[in-house]
Amino acid sequence: MGITRRGLLLSGAAVGGGLLLGVAGLGAHLATHNRLEHQRKSQSGSKGQSLSLWIRITPDNEVVLLVPHTEMGQGSQTGLGQIVAEELDVDWEQMRIELAPAEVAFANGAALEPFIREQVSPPGWAEGMFQNGIHRIADLMSLQMTGGSTAIRGTGWLSMRAAAAAGRAMLMQAAANEWSVDVQSLSTAGGIVEHQDSGRKKSYGDLVAAASKLDAPTEVDFKDITQYRIIGQAIPRIDVESKVKTQAIYGIDADVPDMKYAAVAPIGAFGVEIDSIDNDDEILKRRGVSGVYSIDKGVAVVADNPWRAEQAVRALKYSAKAHDNKAVSSESLEADQRAALAGELSTLFEKGDVGLAMADAGNQVNAEYFVPYLAHATMEPMNATVWQQDGKMHVQCGVQNPLMARKKAAKVASLDLDDVVLHPCTMGGGFGRRVGVGITNDPLDWLQQAVQLHQESGEAVKMTWSREMDMRTDVYRPMVLAQFRAGLENDGMPRFWDSRHYLATQDVAAPAPPYRIEHVKVRHAGEPQVVPTGFWRSVDFSQHGFFVESFIDELAHAASEDPLTYRLKLLGVNSSEARALRAVAEMAAWRSEADAQGRAMGVSVVHSFGTTVAQVAEVSRDASGMPKVHRVWAAVDCGLAINPQSIQAQVAGGIHFGLSAALYGKCDIQGGAVVQSNYHDYRMVKLADAPRVEVKVLASDGEIGGIGEVGVPPIAPAVCNALALLGERQRRLPIVV
Amino acid sequence: MVLLSVNGESHQIDVEPEMPLLWALREELGLRGTKFGCGIAQCGACTVHVDGQAVRSCSFPVAAAQGKDIRTIESLSAADTPHQLQEAWIKHQVPQCGYCQSGMQMAALALLQQNQNPSDEDIDIAMTNICRCGSYDAVRAAIKDAAGSI
Repeated sequence: MGITRRGLLLSGAAVGGGLLLGVAGLGAHLATHNRLEHQRKSQSGSKGQSLSLWIRITPDNEVVLLVPHTEMGQGSQTGLGQIVAEELDVDWEQMRIELAPAEVAFANGAALEPFIREQVSPPGWAEGMFQNGIHRIADLMSLQMTGGSTAIRGTGWLSMRAAAAAGRAMLMQAAANEWSVDVQSLSTAGGIVEHQDSGRKKSYGDLVAAASKLDAPTEVDFKDITQYRIIGQAIPRIDVESKVKTQAIYGIDADVPDMKYAAVAPIGAFGVEIDSIDNDDEILKRRGVSGVYSIDKGVAVVADNPWRAEQAVRALKYSAKAHDNKAVSSESLEADQRAALAGELSTLFEKGDVGLAMADAGNQVNAEYFVPYLAHATMEPMNATVWQQDGKMHVQCGVQNPLMARKKAAKVASLDLDDVVLHPCTMGGGFGRRVGVGITNDPLDWLQQAVQLHQESGEAVKMTWSREMDMRTDVYRPMVLAQFRAGLENDGMPRFWDSRHYLATQDVAAPAPPYRIEHVKVRHAGEPQVVPTGFWRSVDFSQHGFFVESFIDELAHAASEDPLTYRLKLLGVNSSEARALRAVAEMAAWRSEADAQGRAMGVSVVHSFGTTVAQVAEVSRDASGMPKVHRVWAAVDCGLAINPQSIQAQVAGGIHFGLSAALYGKCDIQGGAVVQSNYHDYRMVKLADAPRVEVKVLASDGEIGGIGEVGVPPIAPAVCNALALLGERQRRLPIVV
Repeated sequence: MVLLSVNGESHQIDVEPEMPLLWALREELGLRGTKFGCGIAQCGACTVHVDGQAVRSCSFPVAAAQGKDIRTIESLSAADTPHQLQEAWIKHQVPQCGYCQSGMQMAALALLQQNQNPSDEDIDIAMTNICRCGSYDAVRAAIKDAAGSI
């Protein structure tokens, strides 16, 4: 006990009985604004803040947790439940976790205000903040996304924990009032308040009515880490059983009365528009086809079966208007990037004096790295179902931020938000594709198409993209060219580090080396190119983790040092990076030379989203030169671990995800469009080439870090650093071309 | 008209003989546990059994399935108690997003029905389904756990 936190707690009686609790994190509005600005601020020391949420305790002593984060495999709903169960002091079996609906009522100030004004007096110090505070919640909820590895560390740790602790305090206070005893004489366990001296007991369910009439406390005590019974346990995820038994409903599983099916085909170069559809008469005669449409970013057919729609759209003949983008290729884009890096640069990060250091550094090392565009390629392709029911437009889809999707649907259909109902589903993968914000383009283009097709056809429409449409109409992970230069002292340690890369990053920390080097300059140039770009699992760290961790390895080799020792010399002995590196080296029984079977190890460490992950990859090349990754070890320092099993699964999964990209992933651009179309030419690691992965969660009481993305960045450099011992260093991804 | 026997029940459906089995199962019969992933038999999300063999239903015409015993993931999930394979899948917490897992389970079931004690190499050869979340370590562990009980 003893940790105190001041926050804006919202509480009151629930409709139908029970206690409602929520928290508005002060400063939460930060997250709604431009991600770049937000992260720049967090970089300079101020912390990102929490979201609002609701906990409801029913008279039956069940705790209903409405989680604003949608499920795409990351398992955060379970972790959030663990935090609340722990701090509220209830048993895991009492928890019921539900997805918060995409309703403004859960966010909108107009709905909350009377609730607070009439039923609970706001704490005096917060009086003046209510108007703003509440509207901030509204802003936040509409833009709030499941992404950025924020659910546990933001929503959970900063908000839900406070709401749960406040709830426990209010329930205890209600009991103290009823029994006329001092609250200090009470204890809780398993959702029951007990007065030890008299042996009197009462369940939370029996106390909620009285508790809901109390003011929310302005300060709350949290449990001490040594008291945890639920946090830190590998509790089975709440979504697993329904997924195994295929009872989980994905967007693509929508089934509404009189539903028709739409298929869409891409129309070539990015930005190009349709001039004319030339054989619609013929297509309309096909069995089951009821309509042919030209829509935003595609041509579409509506039919009575998805296969008939898809066959028909593939047979559509159309002409597209002329567009400059048709001349764009991977080669031209890379040449533009290289030219930009030779031109005027903006400084992202600087310390010491690189110019001066450069003049008298002896041994210089130069390297150029390149990573291509990548598609998300979620297993469930983009889809949405749109229909009319009870005078409203309904949308069913899997989306990382449901309320934003609802707003988008309303805007496309020119409807009031109240006339649109969104049914968020389990997502067959997200990885940043199903968010509502991109880097250059709106990722919800698929939702826009589905709404357009529903409106134009006047039918209930389930629109499902083919894999080809999905691969060629993405918001891609940006292609980046980067150039590095460093000078070494006589002892081999770096005197300066000078890097330049194309495109400003979303996170300034991503391209900065974590190593202690006296003179450092990190610069960038260039604007987003014509290929639409967006957030891809681990965002900037997927590119810059590869660059930085490859280049430091090159410096170690130039200095004839063991790359592990070299890194450790450049890191504080108590730093998270050093800790993770030492741990992973022990797990892997690190060796810096290839063994007799031709297996070499590569190491890397990347701190991203508040978590440090060090990895060692053991790699060989077969007789034909094809790389084989045999084993990967990962040490994870994510601060306090809420659910170790979930952490292991996310990090192992991130390694396979990142390995697919490192080995095979690329979207080539020809004629202003993506060349790759399906899993045959956009290859994935499969079981036969999946390495055995061992993940160790390092015990720590540090601040909680994110988990969903952090396994991805270190794998590409770890593999390439190993390959460098077996032949040429890989400075361009993918490795297999 | 095409006559299909799915999970022991007969269905007569009015579809083209070349329609892939996947779309007949999902949208004509409403059996949506079988998923669409790629349409070209690359990812395995649509794996079902036809006469005990794992096939990729997105590229398997209904005409070729006529008169054969078609089994989908629903045949495992319907029982009151979880199938042994599904018990192992839950124990090892295999799914992440879960989308590929019906196909993954049907591929694993076909393997275990033909080979009660598969080696790592047997598993590598039989299990060519894509899991974008990277649940491969857990898939391998669950198959080994379920081996012998199927």
